[in-house]
Amino acid sequence: MIKNTENIADKKGAEKIISIYWFFILFIVAGGVIYMVILFYGEPYDVREIEANLLVNSIADCISEAGFLREQVLNKEFRDNFLEVCRINFNVEDFQEWKNEEQYYLHASFYNFDTESFIFDISEGNINLEEFCKEQYKGQKNNPVCISRSFYSLDKQGGKYKINIIGAVRKTEKNAR
Amino acid sequence: MTIKNKKRADILVENIIFIVLNLIFLSILVFFIFSKTSSAAVLEEAYAKQIALMIDSAKPGTRLILNMEDAFNEVAAGFAGDIVSIDNDNNLVTVKLREKGGYTYSFFNDLKISAVSGKEKGEYVFFIE
Repeated sequence: MIKNTENIADKKGAEKIISIYWFFILFIVAGGVIYMVILFYGEPYDVREIEANLLVNSIADCISEAGFLREQVLNKEFRDNFLEVCRINFNVEDFQEWKNEEQYYLHASFYNFDTESFIFDISEGNINLEEFCKEQYKGQKNNPVCISRSFYSLDKQGGKYKINIIGAVRKTEKNAR
Repeated sequence: MTIKNKKRADILVENIIFIVLNLIFLSILVFFIFSKTSSAAVLEEAYAKQIALMIDSAKPGTRLILNMEDAFNEVAAGFAGDIVSIDNDNNLVTVKLREKGGYTYSFFNDLKISAVSGKEKGEYVFFIE
């Protein structure tokens, strides 16, 4: 009889320990879930790569249409008013001194397709961002994102051109933490 | 007989308390996750960036329709302003779901954009000229 009572008491004690242990595990799991949710949703959405791609596409569309170089591209006036003609504006919000440093950079260089000789180039925005187009800086989230692309185009006289376009977007504070 | 019944009742009460505590705990956890994933701040940022990218990819003459049902549902009580506002002079899009808050993101496409609210359908229409 005494043995039986002891067994019941032991069982009850063990159940209490299991309960405490259970809640301890539950708190650890909940803590992990909360930490991961905060970590995931606390990070800003990084859209710079898409933005840089869109910038490059936009420039390519402005320079060439259906595989042919737009006639005015070869004029000096086009190059001087490149942003205006291509309807691109590098204005940004006044956020953490973004106004003092341009957040975009673009560079289009034209080469003769046959001889590969340099003809001319167009450059706009923050030239310091070009540094981040080097391989060593790619993939680091706190660096500006840089996209480069090449394509071929013809002018109306049959002249062949190779065009390299580089587009870079900084906006680090709103896209990476 | 009475002792046996009391013991059974004790076990039942203990188990019920244990289950209720677990349920409360898990409910709080689920509520936290839902509040985080659909919070106004997260939606503001997501929509502002999405709209800016949509504008950047658009050509003149485009009409864009964006489903913003969850944003309309999340608008804070007492806030009667426009959810989306476009500043064509500075190329900025602002999404605002509460009085004290809002998220602004810039776009580079220098076109004239107008945003029209379609609250009934839970969408916003953007005209790009």
